[in-house]
Formats: sequence, C-alpha cells, structure tokens
Amino acid sequence: MDLRPTILIVEDEPEIRRFLRFSLGAEGYRVVESSTGRRGTIDAGTHKPDVAIVDLGLPDVDGVEVVRHIREWSPMPIIILSARSQERTKIEAFGAGADDYVTKPFGISELLARIRVALRHAVRSGSGGDVLRFENATVDLDKRTAFRDGQPIHLTPIEFRLIAALARHVDKVVTHRQLLAEVWGPAHERDTHYLRIYMKQLRDKLEADPVRPKHLITEIGVGYRLAASDSL
Amino acid sequence: MDVRQTPTARDSVARIFKARTNQRWIGYGWAVAATVASTLVGFAMRGRFDLVNIAMVYLLAVVLVALHYARGPAVLTSILCIAAFDVLFVPPQGTFTVDDVQYVFTFAIMLTVGLVISYLVANVRRQAREQAALEVAAETERIRSALLASISHDLRTPLAVMSGASSTLAEAAEKLSSQERQALARSIFEQSRDMAERVTKVLQMTRLETGAIQIDRDWTSVGEVASSALGRMSERLASHRLIVELPDDLPLVKVDAVLVEQALGNLLENAAKHTPAGTVVRLYAKQRTNDLVVSVEDYSGGPSDVDVERIFQKFAHGAIETNAGGVGLGLAICRAIVRLHGGNAWAERVPAGGMVFRFSLPIEQPPGVVERSPGPDDGLAPDYPHR
Repeated sequence: MDLRPTILIVEDEPEIRRFLRFSLGAEGYRVVESSTGRRGTIDAGTHKPDVAIVDLGLPDVDGVEVVRHIREWSPMPIIILSARSQERTKIEAFGAGADDYVTKPFGISELLARIRVALRHAVRSGSGGDVLRFENATVDLDKRTAFRDGQPIHLTPIEFRLIAALARHVDKVVTHRQLLAEVWGPAHERDTHYLRIYMKQLRDKLEADPVRPKHLITEIGVGYRLAASDSL
Repeated sequence: MDVRQTPTARDSVARIFKARTNQRWIGYGWAVAATVASTLVGFAMRGRFDLVNIAMVYLLAVVLVALHYARGPAVLTSILCIAAFDVLFVPPQGTFTVDDVQYVFTFAIMLTVGLVISYLVANVRRQAREQAALEVAAETERIRSALLASISHDLRTPLAVMSGASSTLAEAAEKLSSQERQALARSIFEQSRDMAERVTKVLQMTRLETGAIQIDRDWTSVGEVASSALGRMSERLASHRLIVELPDDLPLVKVDAVLVEQALGNLLENAAKHTPAGTVVRLYAKQRTNDLVVSVEDYSGGPSDVDVERIFQKFAHGAIETNAGGVGLGLAICRAIVRLHGGNAWAERVPAGGMVFRFSLPIEQPPGVVERSPGPDDGLAPDYPHR
C-alpha cells in the first residue's frame, strides 16, 4: 500500500504539471494530474488526495468552481495557483473554501512550504491548539487569558473573539467577510474598518514587532492569516 | 503589445469634442446675454454719445461672441444686435425702418465682422484639434518605441541568460560540477522571476492607462499596506538599512489596498534598485489636513541632477541609471494608481543628499465602530476601539 501523501494537481499547462510532477515526486509525494477542472473534480473524488493544488485559470470551468465542488464533500486542504492579475478571483476562491495560495510564477520552495503547512494542518485539525504562542506573548483561548513577557495583559471580548476566529482557521487565509461575519455577525460583513482597527490592537498587544508581524499576517485585499509559530 | 494613447492626450481630444457640443448651446445663451448687456450700456450712453459709438458697443459684443463661440452664435449676435440697435436707438425709434442709409452700412459691417472672426476662430480651433491629434499620435509613437526598446533590452537579456544556462544544463550537465549546475539553475530562476515581474509591470501600466482596472475601495490601514509591501520587498531591501516610522494614530483610508500596496512596493523597489547597498531608507507616513502622505526617503547622497518630474514618466530612468535594469515603469505605475484614488505622487531632493518619493491619499471620515458584538454577553469589559 502506498503511504505517500497524495497531491492532486489541477492545471491545464502541461509544462507546469511536468515540473510539479518532477519536484513533488522528488520530495516523496504521489502526484495525480488533471488537465481540466471537470477532470479535477472527479479525480478529487476518486483519488481522495491529501492536498489539492488548483490553478485558477482553467480552460473549461472556473478554478473557483472546482474549489466549491471539492468543498461540498471534503475538508481537504486546497492551495490555489493564481496570477498577479487575478486578485478578485482569488478572493472568490477563498470564499469558496480555498485554504492558501501561491502566486505564479513561483519558486518550488514556496509551494513546498505551503504543502507542508497544509498537510500538517490536515493532521492536526480537530485536536486544536488552545494556547497560541507568539514571540513574547501567549493567548489561552480556553481560559481567556493573555500574557506578554510573563505579565497578564487585557484582551477585550472582541479581541478574543477575533483571535479565536483566526485560530479556528490557523495557517489558512480567512477573508474579511468571513471574519466579520464570525466576530461581529452577518450584518457587519462589509464593515472592514472594524477589522483594521481590531487587528492593529491585537498586533500591538501580541506581536514583537507590530510593523513586521510574524503571526497576524495581512493578506492584502483578501483577509488575514494566523501563522502558527512552527510554520515560520 | 498594444500601446494606447496616453490619458492626457486622449483626454484633451475628448475634452475638445465634448466642449463643442456644450458650447453650442452656451454660445447661443451668450449671444442673447451679450445683446442685452450692450443694450443696457447703450441706454446708459444715449444722449451723451453719438449713435455710431453705441453701434461700436454692439460690434464689440459681436466680436466677443465670435471669438469664444462658433459661427451660429456669432451670426445670432449680429442679428440680435442689429435688431436691438435699430429698434431701440436708430430713429425712428420703436420701429424696424431705417431712415438713413448709413445704418444699413453699419449693419453690413457688423455682420461681416461677426462672420470673419468666427471663421478665423473656427480655423484656429480646427488647427488646435489637428495639433492635439498629432500630439496623441506622437506620444503613442514615443511610448511604442520606448516600449519596444525596453522590451528588447530588458527582456532579451534575461531570455539570453535563460536559454544559454538551460541549454548548457540540458546538453552538458554531466561535465559540470554540482555547484555549477546549481548556479546555472539559480540564475535561470532569478532571471525568469525578474522577467515575469517586468512583464507584469508593462501589462499593469497598459491596464491603468486604458482604464481596464477597476478600483475596489475599502477601509484600509496604511500600516498593513506598509507591512505587506515591506514583506514582499524584504529580500531586495535586505542590504539596505531600513527605518520605518508609522504613527500610531494614522487614519484609515478608503482605497484599493492591492493597488496601493503595489504603489508603495514600487517606491521601495525603486529605492532598493537605485541606491547602493547599506543606504539608509526611511519609510514614513504623515497625516495632513485632507490627506495622508506616505514617503520613501533615501540618504544615498544621490544625484542632484535628477529631474524630479521626469522620473515619474514612463520609461524615464533617472540619471542614476545603472545596470539595475527594470522597465522604468515602477514610478509611473505608482503615480497612475494614486491618481486613480484622487491623490498624487511626486519626488523631492533631500537637502542632505538623496531623494524622497512621496504619494498622497485623500482622507475620509470612516463610519463609527459598533462597540459591542451581537454575541452573548460574556461579562468582560466592553470594547473601546482606539483611534
């Protein structure tokens, strides 16, 4: 029985599929390739991959559709490949349930790092780390306490709710809309300014260098990501 | 690559055409207004001046309208003026009859002057239009050739490196040491990444110019934009000494975060490219009355002969041009992006030696923040957002 993690690549460019096949194969992954979105949706069902890599610019169906179809039945990590000009589509893909993205052109080390995060996350999900560790701060989500340099610090209820929402999707990109709905409620999905203000407060309280945050990461134009300590 | 007209030149043509339709109606309005005004002046002059001088006032009205508007309004002014002059001033007043043949002469002169001037003005206008069209063509041509030149240099060189290095790997890999193979592979990677970025910039500029980019405004924190841009440029700025000064109380701005991040990234990239390693680069933001100014300043002791206006134009490398390459679009893109947002981008020399590149973004008052979430009361202190 093949115990290697399986990676599904949904990408129409044969040259890109080839170099992914080579480099992912060399890293010890089993690679399944689909050249169209429809094929990819079917392959995701039959091969049950550990991670799916989906190109946003597919010839037959939208990459976002592929993400949506997979999400209907599986929580498998989905990494999207997007071009710089596809910012809007990227947001849709996250809305549809994508976990992460890599912008084309990319170096293989970048993609491998994302795949490792995705696999680790898939293994860990459900166990749930209840204490978040920053350089000099910790947040205990269960006990609702926070410490910085050993001293207790105060987080407001909204700040707790916000960091808990990010922690539920640790290492994943969470869109503005999703965070607003989870923390403030569906009526506030458009109130991005709330997020800006509270994220700044969280960074000021928790990040060692709020200007260059290591954990409370801004995905510009898309949302935020809580990067776990060991993914950096 | 399709290089379109620059917005400025295209706008000027559009402006002329639009102006023409609007001015037609405004022109007729002014024809009436000028006649009324001259009539009032005429009444004021009556008794103290000869009739011929009152005729001169009407003539002046005809000249002014003819100068500013097309032939139609000029002819209308002539007719109205003649009618008013005749009915109100030429004896017998209150009638349209003319006793003295010399007034017929006055009318003829008035009409002729109106026609001649409007004809001359129309001519000049047409020439101006043709000139503007020529300028558009010339500008398009200039950009096209600059683009071709820059493509042939900026893209051909990395392509040559890539095909040379990759063919060596494909055909003679076994004769190379593993370090050499790695070095070749790495240079292919770096060159291709560079090239992708240049192509992206050319496309971006084209999209900005043709209006193909829609801006998606939302409340944005300049701090987050700066963090993101700094993160993206961290490799390139690794050998520079970076100082970041962002005040805690910067207001949010309603902008397209993705685009503004690019604008700032381009300024940082520019500093990384055009100043020597070890240079101090300072990124800071300041709030003014109606806008927020983001600046990237370098203390390179840099060139004093840089044309601070020209460097924001497409394909204009500063005098500092080294082999650092780049399509020379970064600053032009930055400016195009902030102008789309109602801001501006400019450069200044730093007295101590160096350059500062700035852009401004207008500030609006953000809506209030709901202090309580709709969730269950969890007995903790309410939230007081800091601003």
